[in-house]
Amino acid sequence: MRFLRELYVVFWKEMLVWVNNPMLPVVRALVFPMMWIVIFGSAFGGEVNHIPVAVVSEDSGELSLAYLSMLSTGRTLELKYASPSEAEKLLKTRRVYGVLHIPADFTERLRSGEGVTVSLSTDESTPQIANAMAAHFAKVSRSFSAQLGLEDAVRVERDPIYGRGVKYLDYLAPGVVMMTILFSSIFSGGLNLILDREFGTLKMLMVSPISRDAIILGKIFAGVAQSIASGVVALVVAILMGVHLKSGAAGFALVILLMFISGFGFIGMSTAFATRITQLEQLMVVMQVLIMPMWFLSGGLYPLESMPDWMKPLAIVNPMTYATDAARAVMIRGIIWETLLLDLAVISAFAIAMFLVGSYSFKKTLGGIK
Amino acid sequence: MIIEVERLRKEFNGVVAVDGISFSVERGEIFGFLGPNGAGKTTTINILTTLLAPTSGTARIAGYDVVKQPEQVRRRIGLVPQEVVLEGDLTARENLIFHGMLYGLSRQQIESRISELLDIVELEDRAESKVRTFSGGMKRRLELVKVLLHEPEVVFLDEPTVGLDPQTRRRIWEYIRTLNTERGVTVFLTTHYMEEAEQLCDRVCIIDHGRILDIDQPDRLKHRLGEGEMVEIELAERCEEFVRSLGEAGYRIKSATGCRVTVVAERSERVLAEVFSLADRLGTGIVSISIRKPTLEDVFIHYTGRSIRDEAAGDTRIREIARRLKH
Ligand SMILES: Nc1ncnc2c1ncn2[C@@H]1O[C@H](COP(=O)(O)OP(=O)(O)OP(=O)(O)O)[C@@H](O)[C@H]1O
Ligand SMILES: [Mg+2]
Repeated sequence: MRFLRELYVVFWKEMLVWVNNPMLPVVRALVFPMMWIVIFGSAFGGEVNHIPVAVVSEDSGELSLAYLSMLSTGRTLELKYASPSEAEKLLKTRRVYGVLHIPADFTERLRSGEGVTVSLSTDESTPQIANAMAAHFAKVSRSFSAQLGLEDAVRVERDPIYGRGVKYLDYLAPGVVMMTILFSSIFSGGLNLILDREFGTLKMLMVSPISRDAIILGKIFAGVAQSIASGVVALVVAILMGVHLKSGAAGFALVILLMFISGFGFIGMSTAFATRITQLEQLMVVMQVLIMPMWFLSGGLYPLESMPDWMKPLAIVNPMTYATDAARAVMIRGIIWETLLLDLAVISAFAIAMFLVGSYSFKKTLGGIK
Repeated sequence: MIIEVERLRKEFNGVVAVDGISFSVERGEIFGFLGPNGAGKTTTINILTTLLAPTSGTARIAGYDVVKQPEQVRRRIGLVPQEVVLEGDLTARENLIFHGMLYGLSRQQIESRISELLDIVELEDRAESKVRTFSGGMKRRLELVKVLLHEPEVVFLDEPTVGLDPQTRRRIWEYIRTLNTERGVTVFLTTHYMEEAEQLCDRVCIIDHGRILDIDQPDRLKHRLGEGEMVEIELAERCEEFVRSLGEAGYRIKSATGCRVTVVAERSERVLAEVFSLADRLGTGIVSISIRKPTLEDVFIHYTGRSIRDEAAGDTRIREIARRLKH
């Protein structure tokens, strides 16, 4: 009971300082992940407008004209009419991202109440554009069918000429969320400890009668809480930018649990480093030789499959890989425990080990009298 | 005895910071550690406040051993370290609340004490300001009362006025006296300011290179130099002969660096006459002459042969060399 109260005191102070400083938490929690998402995500994601699409129409019936005019309303597409050979050339030279083929019997089949399939050849090397395009076609086709009083009368057959891409922002978001946890753990754990020592604020706790374990745990918990706060901000930003979270609230909660577990591990890790570090510059070195590679080799930005063979073992021993993979599995596939077990086991083991190492080395640097 | 220290020793990888010191402090005293940089003052405070384990020896605060019963000790002490340890991002009030919480006080207890404490150091109107915005003197004042919140029996003040202007320093002395007399708190402070030790402390312990040179009331320490006043003479030339002649005339020479010599004399008028006639005889001029009461600085020089203010001593040496070069 007394221990919990003491733990709370330390936790309370850390959080109060964190909240009280108007600039840093915002910079750390919001600007940082935003920047990554904007840099890596918006370049591909967000709202894509004015996508050039070539139209090869063999039907001049009124329904095909109506369908085409419906497609061109809004800002999403820019239609260009072309002959089949011209259209193919436009697509290959990347002047259009898709070629729509409307068959000769389009109007006729719809008149007689039958469904019709239009084909859409796409360049999906830029996945966000391909997705936006496909989504627009699907939406228009649905409402066009509905106006005719039919269901799914116009089906769009997507034919990615370079193979199908993944939706990059969906792919990227879990990695960015976990990166936020990793980076803010370095600040909340290691940096905080170094600054505390530098400015002597640790001394204030040390001369007080509260238990040494409460000091350590209070600081670690506060660090984890701060990391999770940043991670949640990143997650919400991702969702606002259109990232789909498969299992809704349960998925959200599970991602937070993942943040908690990995946050513990990363805080423990950065604390262990910080106890051996006396200057901020040294922490920057650790950032560069350890943290950045952990992030780049986690599969957060590019799939592990695209890595050269010699690099793969690094990704396999990298705890970030499992944290990212778990978050991605939850966010994209939903909660399917079989797919999560290995990841969960690895990050939990990492968290426990690092927590022990971190709190042990922290305790050792507290030094002197227990 | 509220502080009892016996043969306390601390080594840092072979460097002896505190070299087997023993002393004790009585309840209600203002006790001062006076020593130059690196004397071992902070190291001693760190051991007494349970921040550092001694290499050997024992220390007890209010009867509790600092190593074996640290928690008992921690409950009874307050520390104002050499460097400011307030949370700059918290307000003065929040800093106090946090401090109170660390010592297990309830919110009501804390709230009821805060305004009174801030009042003592005239910071009431700044209670809601972030400490980051405080001046050095304000931070010091806040720290001074912060440690009173949990009503400690002893407070340790490590160089409480270092870096402050003389006016602020005097105010801080006032607060320290107030908390000592009105609240009955025992004060252990370190300083390398002579006036601070002299004005504030009931007893002063002179420490250098981790060793205690002397402990006593400031007045009595000064009497160690003998009865009388300090006469400082600066000569233009023939300094060595002059110093020798003074010695032969039976004067107690306290220090002689080059052409500056300090003697102790019971009747300074007589010295002046003799100094002038001696200078006349040697055919040298007197650059300056001054008579003053002895200070703890003189006591320090008496024990160590050097000034506590290393810079000042260095300065004298440089002037000495410059003078020699000119001639
Ligand atoms: N953590 C440490 N590691 C190694 N040496 C130390 C350590 N702390 C102090 N020392 C050494 O011990 C000696 C005494 O230092 P201390 O800080 O106690 O001096 P001080 O009297 O407080 O000096 P100041 O007036 O500069 O504060 C110095 O020589 C210092 O270099
Ligand atoms: Mg010191």
